[in-house]
Amino acid sequence: MKDLKNPVLELTRRRFLGATASLGSVAALAGAGLSTVSLPRAFAAEPEKPKEIIVRAWGGSWVDSLKAGVSDSFTKLTGIAVRHDLTEDNEIQPKVWAAVTQKRVPPIHVNWDTTTNATKSALRGVTEDLSDLSNLATVTELAKPVGLDGYPIVNTYGYVYVLAYRPSAFPDGPPTSWKALLDPKFKGRIALYNDGIGFHFPAQVAGGGKVEDIPGNMQPAWDFITKVKEQRPLLGEDPDFTNWFQNGEIDLACTISTNAREAKKNGVDIKWVVPQEGAKFETDGLWIPKGLPENELYWAKQYINHALTKDAQQVWLDGLGLPGVVPGLTPPADLVGDPSYPTTPEDFKHLIRVSNKIQVENESAWFGKFKAIMQS
Amino acid sequence: MRAYPLTWRLLDVLETGLEKVFPRRLAGITPYLMLAPAVLLVGLLVLGLFQVADGSLRTLDTTTFLMSESYSLDNFRRALSEPLFRNVAVKSFAGSLIVTAMTLVLALPYAYVMVRTKSAALRKILLIALFLPFFIGQVVRAYGWLIILGNQGLVNEALSFLGIGPFRLIYNYPAVLFGLIQYMLPFAVLMLAPAVTAIPEETEAAAESLGANWIQTFIHVVLPMARPGFVGAGLVVMTLSLTDFAIPAILGGGSQDFIANAIYDQFFRTSDQGLGATLALLLVAAGSTLVAIVFALVGTGTLQMGRAKQ
Repeated sequence: MKDLKNPVLELTRRRFLGATASLGSVAALAGAGLSTVSLPRAFAAEPEKPKEIIVRAWGGSWVDSLKAGVSDSFTKLTGIAVRHDLTEDNEIQPKVWAAVTQKRVPPIHVNWDTTTNATKSALRGVTEDLSDLSNLATVTELAKPVGLDGYPIVNTYGYVYVLAYRPSAFPDGPPTSWKALLDPKFKGRIALYNDGIGFHFPAQVAGGGKVEDIPGNMQPAWDFITKVKEQRPLLGEDPDFTNWFQNGEIDLACTISTNAREAKKNGVDIKWVVPQEGAKFETDGLWIPKGLPENELYWAKQYINHALTKDAQQVWLDGLGLPGVVPGLTPPADLVGDPSYPTTPEDFKHLIRVSNKIQVENESAWFGKFKAIMQS
Repeated sequence: MRAYPLTWRLLDVLETGLEKVFPRRLAGITPYLMLAPAVLLVGLLVLGLFQVADGSLRTLDTTTFLMSESYSLDNFRRALSEPLFRNVAVKSFAGSLIVTAMTLVLALPYAYVMVRTKSAALRKILLIALFLPFFIGQVVRAYGWLIILGNQGLVNEALSFLGIGPFRLIYNYPAVLFGLIQYMLPFAVLMLAPAVTAIPEETEAAAESLGANWIQTFIHVVLPMARPGFVGAGLVVMTLSLTDFAIPAILGGGSQDFIANAIYDQFFRTSDQGLGATLALLLVAAGSTLVAIVFALVGTGTLQMGRAKQ
């Protein structure tokens, strides 16, 4: 019969080396003044470190920023390698759901996800509770997912779906309204996300409706989107917008400011505005799927905790050009005063934020309606 | 007397061993055993279809994002009544029919020249041109067209030298059809070539000796005799086009979805696996019905493979 010794007390060479490395990393954390792992807890019972943790991420500048701000410093502090899985957020979701349902170990440790998508996973009950992360004590209200109990997700920053434009197409000054999309000279030269994400709410206002009427009466939004459809918009995903601006295919697009900023960094002549009707404000977050071994769950949580430190947020979000959830972050020089980088209550007055619960419950219907208009 | 060669002895040993493992009296079931892997694969597919069918009868609860425990036909009602799915279905079926017709028209001369040419070099060139696209994936080919046909692509650059354009040549329905035809052409040629090869050259010579000109020979001899190839190639092209995902997604600019794109959206964008399963099931049913109608009307063509009924 197998000797069932207490695995915690059994001192093997591997465990000894692991514990020594853990002590080293804790000392490093303490030296760096970071609160990633609280010292007493680490001394008491720090679980065995996995060789690596897998973090799902978006590609391009998104993953580069995460790597520079969070993953590399996490590896430096803990010795745990971070592998980035660039599977699309929509495609990893059913895989994670299936793994949890079948009681298998999920394919990733941490999911970097839109809060709306993550809320679906939380409602399905496949997310671990993150309420015990020590750094949650220092974050702003933005970190808390609205309409959910506890912290099944931690929001890590906010972003705005801006109206990006090619300045050479607007010699008389930048567009001030989403109605610029209806200008006949831009027929075939405008772009939206292929499910309309980011555009439904400003379309509601531009179509003469009110944000308060969402989701009860969104006819103004559908009427406006129907008019936009006559302009033969291109419909795509994040990387498409950069390509389309770069290849001269479009002059106007509703896209996340990060994509517009990335295109600008790549030398594309592009600027962006928050039009008078407002623009959709949204958040992304990190969450952990259920079913991980205890030790891996612990270190996955430490990864998210580390992502909530000021130093990690500063580097990560400098890369993305987005406002974080830790007080005292310095905006990138090119975004100071930019309406797509809201920091004050005044900035938020121009942005449209609808609870994720409402979005999740209606998203399928909205996508369907948008698609029906665009495919007609 | 010369000794038995070593290889013969080895074969004897192997044969004796095989006899013990698989006695000769079981030889009758050998063909069935060889069929077993294929049957297993098809069985797995059928099993998957049963699961898809089960999923199609469950609706999504958006308060828990779980599928319902009970069965209902709600997903079928939505799939058959919502304008979005009707539009997508019309685009897909119309597209697959247009692509099939155009591809067959283009494939026949290619296959004919490839088979009948006296020049070995030309035949090799045509074969290489035929197989080359198989080494380049569908997605890469579609992106290639974006580069060639884009606003700043080769075609528009060339047109700009003539002082015209640029024209929007991609992100529309014709671009999707064009991409599909280009993708399907090698499949059609490969299916048509054996049918053209099976037409005896003497038959064409006989027609010409009786006074038929080249066009009459082509219309009255080659086309009818190549019919099995048309049926086989047409079915393959039609089913592949009907279920295609990548080319409508890339060349359609997001507004020219086929059914496969709508299925993807349900599975991966709205998390409604029940509706996705319903659309998938309807696609399988509609595609199978279409194929069955063609079989009933014009036979199975080269897909018959075995001995034809006399």
